[in-house]
Amino acid sequence: MNTTIAAEDRAASRLVQRAFERLTGRGGKMLHYALMDDTPVGLLGLAAGPAGLRRLDFIEDEDQFVARLLRLFPDQPVERSSALDPVRRELEGYFKGKHFIFEAPVDLSAATPFQQQVLRELTKVPAGKVTTYSRLAARVGRPGAARAAGNAMHNNPVAIIVPCHRVLRGDGSLGGYGGGLPAKQWLLRLEGALL
Amino acid sequence: MHADALSLLLAKHGLELARHLRRLVRDDDVAADLLQDTFLLAHGALARLKAGSNERAWLYRIATNAALNHLRSLSREAAALERHARARDVTAPAWLDEDGPGAATGEADPRHAMVWARVAELPERQRVAFSLRASTACDYEEIARRMGGTADAARANVYQAMKTLRKEFR
Repeated sequence: MNTTIAAEDRAASRLVQRAFERLTGRGGKMLHYALMDDTPVGLLGLAAGPAGLRRLDFIEDEDQFVARLLRLFPDQPVERSSALDPVRRELEGYFKGKHFIFEAPVDLSAATPFQQQVLRELTKVPAGKVTTYSRLAARVGRPGAARAAGNAMHNNPVAIIVPCHRVLRGDGSLGGYGGGLPAKQWLLRLEGALL
Repeated sequence: MHADALSLLLAKHGLELARHLRRLVRDDDVAADLLQDTFLLAHGALARLKAGSNERAWLYRIATNAALNHLRSLSREAAALERHARARDVTAPAWLDEDGPGAATGEADPRHAMVWARVAELPERQRVAFSLRASTACDYEEIARRMGGTADAARANVYQAMKTLRKEFR
């Protein structure tokens, strides 16, 4: 039954792909997206291509998120689909504190090489621990590039799963966060890094 | 930004409407055309969609109408084809009713070609005898001379061929 539904969706998706190509010239690989309402950190937008998750954003509404995807990925057709259901389930488990490790593959190829390096280094910081912008910069061999490391956090395409909320300022203050500081505090408390 | 209004609509509702159209028309190529028509139409009429009205329900209505129009034109086409087939129904070409096929083999009759297609499948001696008799108006002596054998054998072959054809085309 499930495989029948999946086959039906694959066939329907091919029609969407054709429509995008004919009507808008977007001939690239399909980018799937989904929303998560009512999470403890607000409304989330997720998007994935064949190589993995490309966006996990804190968003205002669906139109704003889709417009952002269309701008960031100008060659790709985009569709709302159930392809991201496994990632959504992983995130639900995470928000309940059931696990802090994600299986879903992440595709960081849209970031610059330096940013990719920093973000990959960041994924080695486990839940319950925190680091700082300057320590992160030092770990990729660029001590003194704390500001650049901070920019990489700011441009993190996959929030939460690439855990930029685990990075604090050198003085121990929270620093910034794309989802707002209350969200950053909530996540750090969930992981036991903050009381 | 306005060009991407179409992309925005497609991204949000494309998959769901593609699924809907495939279920209605059961043909992927037709559904693909209807999906494109739907979004082009919707995009053209987007300005007339009142703010706050249900975009999704509106798209469903456009898609469903497009599919129903297609299915209606399809059934009209099927009815026309059926009428046409009935008019061409092969009963009996006039020249099969006569004593034997003569020179007047009804060239203008559309059934002619179908009868000759069946002749091509007859046993060889029947086929050759019938063809000589029908298309060259040979008498049985002449046919016997060309094929070998007797005039009576030629007559019998033409008779067998006629019998088969009359049975099938009457």
